Amino acid sequence: MGCIACHKGNKQGKKKEDAHKGRIARPSDNINNCGICHIKAGQNYAKSLHYTSFGQHEGVKHRFSAAELKTFDKKVFEQSCRSCHASCGSCHVKSPPVGGITTGLLQGHKFIKKNEGKTCAACHGGRVYPEFTGEYGGTPDVHYQKGMMCNDCHKKQEMHGDGKIYKSKNDVKDRPKCQSCHQDKGNQIAHTIHKDKVSCQGCHSSGQYRQCFNCHAVNGSKAEPGFILGKNPRNKKTLTTLRVIPTIRNTFEPRGIKMENFDALPNYWDSAVHNIKKRTNRTRSCDSCHVNKEGFLKQEDLIKDGSKANDALIFDIKPINK
Amino acid sequence: MKKMKWLKALLVSLLILLPAVVWAEGFSPILSTDDLAKILKDPGVIVIDIRKVEDYKTGHIPGALGIFYNNWAPGAGGLKNEMPADDDLIDLLSANGIGPDSTVVVYGTTSTPPDRVDVTRVAWALKYASVKKVSVLSGGFEKWATREQKPVSQEVVKPKSKPYKGTINKALLTNKDYVKGQIGKATIVDAREPAFFKGENKLPFVAKNGRVKNAVNLPTIQVFDKYPPGEHMEPCCWTYKDITALKNLASGVVGSDLNKEIIVYCDTGKVASAWWFILTDVMGFKNVKIYDGSMEEWMKDAAAPTEP
Repeated sequence: MGCIACHKGNKQGKKKEDAHKGRIARPSDNINNCGICHIKAGQNYAKSLHYTSFGQHEGVKHRFSAAELKTFDKKVFEQSCRSCHASCGSCHVKSPPVGGITTGLLQGHKFIKKNEGKTCAACHGGRVYPEFTGEYGGTPDVHYQKGMMCNDCHKKQEMHGDGKIYKSKNDVKDRPKCQSCHQDKGNQIAHTIHKDKVSCQGCHSSGQYRQCFNCHAVNGSKAEPGFILGKNPRNKKTLTTLRVIPTIRNTFEPRGIKMENFDALPNYWDSAVHNIKKRTNRTRSCDSCHVNKEGFLKQEDLIKDGSKANDALIFDIKPINK
Repeated sequence: MKKMKWLKALLVSLLILLPAVVWAEGFSPILSTDDLAKILKDPGVIVIDIRKVEDYKTGHIPGALGIFYNNWAPGAGGLKNEMPADDDLIDLLSANGIGPDSTVVVYGTTSTPPDRVDVTRVAWALKYASVKKVSVLSGGFEKWATREQKPVSQEVVKPKSKPYKGTINKALLTNKDYVKGQIGKATIVDAREPAFFKGENKLPFVAKNGRVKNAVNLPTIQVFDKYPPGEHMEPCCWTYKDITALKNLASGVVGSDLNKEIIVYCDTGKVASAWWFILTDVMGFKNVKIYDGSMEEWMKDAAAPTEP
């Protein structure tokens, strides 16, 4: 295939200006261009969360009134959130622009099947990827230490979709689970005691990960390391690692959206942080949680002027009844 | 008198020959790429690639294990590049089948000054765990693969795990309180560049300019030469200076009493590792420690003696 098959342009043009008339810089923005040959992948990808960005929509929409949601869909989602969706080329040819900056072609113009360090990390490099490699200041995730990369857990189906439209990644059934590889054989008393009460990362997160404050806010953003344990907002019977989510009360004020139902959702969400380690303060000593309450979300630590829903995530852990 | 002269000459000869004795065993603390090529197929040699996993998978020295640098020097307690907890370090060695009697060769990249000292920082962690024979590759992966086009593999090597039986050698590591107590007693070596030593410059995460009181300056940047040499040659990488040049640099600052106590520091404890390795493994100093907290920790303490 020649350049023109994807990038179009004018093959009769003798000068650059003439030849580039009608040129398409990013042909894979239109999935159909790739879908001509990659039929199934193209069909699935058009419905995938990487392409639709519906997860971002679902994550914030419950804060809006019906009228506000209409404004959001028109003025924010299509113009801002959706502009972040990944095209086929964003992962397989050229790193996507993040904040207007791209790291360029992956390997000349060669189509690369996978290159997680560039492609996944280009978008997920703010939080997950540097936590995974230990470059955010902690220990590398034990899976990275063993040579595993994103695709070893997050399969192709998760990248390209399975042909169904999902509102959020939380609705996808076949997501990676620790238990898929690590079955509980009942020989670890701590696993038996905490089963269905504490997430795996609740004990095995090696420590601090990135918390985002005030992102998308009028006055700019701020990221800080932190380790937070609290109730899972999606299942309040479970203790897990929480991450501060950047939406604050005035995030959408410049677009005329006050968020009438801001308090319907918390500012802390369950996060499967990617800095897993066999031994942590919590696995070494029960006192880390049951006496010292290290990392536990407390009333005095809640973000200022945050959502009222945050209060419900505070877990008052008790001493062990010996 | 004549007898004394003869004895002196013999002693000098022995000192010169000392590294050659080590070489005769097929092992040297600083290995050239050609040296490594000769011992690569030796089943007793474990080669460790400390570059990122994705770089390792793209291509590595055949047979090398991929164990990324950050495993050996994670951030901890708000400080960068800290020695792993003892049980974590033993887990890491066990998982990778490294024993105290293994011969380990560490290589990485030499692209930037911080990259160049990753290997010695890993060597220090291995020695801290009492692995006896540890060597670093001069010139790193770039010299091996890019410059010399030596064989490269994409086959991911699965380590044969075995429980690590060595003991932790706490004498190689020291802390702030100990350093405070040794001012004026031990030779305290600042391995940073002269501008940092003089207090003219500092890294953003270091609270204030200056150095540990009474420290002497032995900059790590002097350890390396670009390769290939020559003003007009495009460098592929950085190699260690020859042993005589390294000895001359060091002895001019710390002297030649191999029994004296030396404490090396920098900003995070990483840059200091190059001189720790050379003083200990190349020159034979017997009591060299790294102050791991270094200036990142020292300068936060208002009571820590500093100058200028």
